[in-house]
Amino acid sequence: MLTIKNLHAAVDGKEILKGLDLEVPAGEVHAVMGPNGSGKSTLAHVLAGRPGYTITSGTVTFNGRDLLALSPEERAREGVFLGFQYPVEIPGVNNVYLLKAAVNAARKHRGLPEVDAFEFLTLVREKMRLMRMDESMLSRGVNEGFSGGEKKRNEILQMLVLEPALAVLDETDSGLDIDALKVVANGVNTLRSPHRSQVLVTHYQRLLEHIVPDRVHVLVKGRIVRSGDRTLALELEQRGYDWLLGEAA
Amino acid sequence: MSSAALTRLRDEYLARCPTLPESVIGASRRSAAIEALCAQGLPSTREENWRYTNLRLLERARFAPAPEAEHSLPALPAPLPGFARYVFVDGEFRCGADDLPGVSVRTLRTSGSAGEAWEFTAQLPESRLALLNEAFATDAATIDVRRDATTEGIELVFIAASGAQSGACYPRVRLALQSGAQLTVVERHVGAGEGSSLVNSAVRVELAEQAHLRHYRVQKCGARAAWFDTLSAELSRDARYELLLVSTAALAARSTVHARLSGPGAELALSAAALGEGQQSLDMYAMSEHLAARTRTQQTFRGIASDRARVAFNGKIVVHEQARGTDSRQSLRGLLAGAQAEIDLRPQLEIYTDEVRCSHGASAGKLDENMLFYLLSRGIAPEVAQHLLKWAFLEDVISRIAPADLRRQIELGLAGQMSEAATLKELL
Repeated sequence: MLTIKNLHAAVDGKEILKGLDLEVPAGEVHAVMGPNGSGKSTLAHVLAGRPGYTITSGTVTFNGRDLLALSPEERAREGVFLGFQYPVEIPGVNNVYLLKAAVNAARKHRGLPEVDAFEFLTLVREKMRLMRMDESMLSRGVNEGFSGGEKKRNEILQMLVLEPALAVLDETDSGLDIDALKVVANGVNTLRSPHRSQVLVTHYQRLLEHIVPDRVHVLVKGRIVRSGDRTLALELEQRGYDWLLGEAA
Repeated sequence: MSSAALTRLRDEYLARCPTLPESVIGASRRSAAIEALCAQGLPSTREENWRYTNLRLLERARFAPAPEAEHSLPALPAPLPGFARYVFVDGEFRCGADDLPGVSVRTLRTSGSAGEAWEFTAQLPESRLALLNEAFATDAATIDVRRDATTEGIELVFIAASGAQSGACYPRVRLALQSGAQLTVVERHVGAGEGSSLVNSAVRVELAEQAHLRHYRVQKCGARAAWFDTLSAELSRDARYELLLVSTAALAARSTVHARLSGPGAELALSAAALGEGQQSLDMYAMSEHLAARTRTQQTFRGIASDRARVAFNGKIVVHEQARGTDSRQSLRGLLAGAQAEIDLRPQLEIYTDEVRCSHGASAGKLDENMLFYLLSRGIAPEVAQHLLKWAFLEDVISRIAPADLRRQIELGLAGQMSEAATLKELL
């Protein structure tokens, strides 16, 4: 599904990713953990194609295609979804419109007709119930006046409606109370399938109590320094990141 | 403005004045207006309050009114449910409903009156274009609204049909609401396609105690037209005036609004949206004078300039000594959507008393990169994402339009103007 080889990326001339390798097979959920400033969010943004990052070397292959050659909107239509750490408020553009436009953009890309309006609303309502979101949020501006937790739920709602092949969730757990965390985790678990992969970027282990990852990777100073199964996350929880900092040198 | 243009203005007036209708404005008032105007000279971009106006079309204009002629009229927007429509061509009344309950609509051209008796320009700090209108107006509508009026609203449609080469149009309206009266007025200025008309309108609003007027103005003249406008309003005790202008068309547009809040508790909510593209120049000057206690003004402006367009808003609030307890707020925002586009925002406050609350904010910037990336990351095409964000920017003002059908018409118009793809229409 996703293969990253020797990826180097810089922001404002400063190298953040320094030879990152990562392989995420189809059907798996991987967690990328690491201390602050290790490059976790940079990785998420580079995968989604955010402007402002310079790729100095390396490759990213997604379903056999060169992901880095695609524009952000093409990546989205190909099935890459970024769950934002800080979802943006866009007053004046309502949520349901954005959802529908996003779904139709992907469908058009695949040569499918536009989604039926009634079926679409039925689907969205069903997913909203799963995310325990109030229906009134649909007609509000994108994330407008939403609390931090509501914004994160809205990200997962979008993901559930769009059903991406690869979801990259950037610190989706940050700022969530335990109930919201469970709802978000439930949403992520719903999407698990042999055809989809998910990358959870997180600082803490607690999200992984609710979403059991197939693999855990530790990102330190722009490189993956250790990979393992879910027990690695528990070890990090107990020991912190300090013992791995030396391995990045 | 060159002296040659003033000489031409006077000559055109002298040649035309014998045939200008006395029933609209008497000859002596017309002559006085032209003399006052010639003494002051026409506005010039060297003046601070006219710096951002494109006055070139006015300088080259034929000032005399276009002669009556047969025109093929453009298709008009669908009638608004519950609104009585009155149509004016080149400023002159053509058709409209008979008297409405509690509302009297009179047009003076054919009324046999001795000319309008009301005063327009006396207290205007900027009266020159109103004087030009007074000298040449060929018709005037006076609308009186009683407290018992039950009409939903009236719609005034001004069609600028003649090209500027044959002369100018001078729409002229007086709207007077009696004590406690309420009304919604939609005032549209439309042109024919690529029309190059010159429009110079004058509107007078008088609100008696506790009157409430919702006034929606839509400027959608021809692409090569010049639209000038002077609006003067007087608000008595506890009167409320909601004024909303949407300006998207014409090559050069300038609206001058002067509101006097002369009764305690009077309130003005002025909202304006402007969308300029190509070489358009859309300028607005709005002055609010607080002359009594507890008066309130809220000014909201949202303007977008694309391509090489220039969009300007100059909002001035004057709080006089006797206007204690005044509350005024200005929120002016501009969006630059073209490398050669220009936004000019100028909030001005003059306060001559204590115990007032006046806030103002003005900001101009480009499209928010974070918002843009968010939309792209959901698969939205870049050009659609830009349209969406421009749309969202104007919604601040457009969402204040109370009549749902009017709001929808305006939204559809904006959507069509912003994006040829029908994408935005799904927003509605």
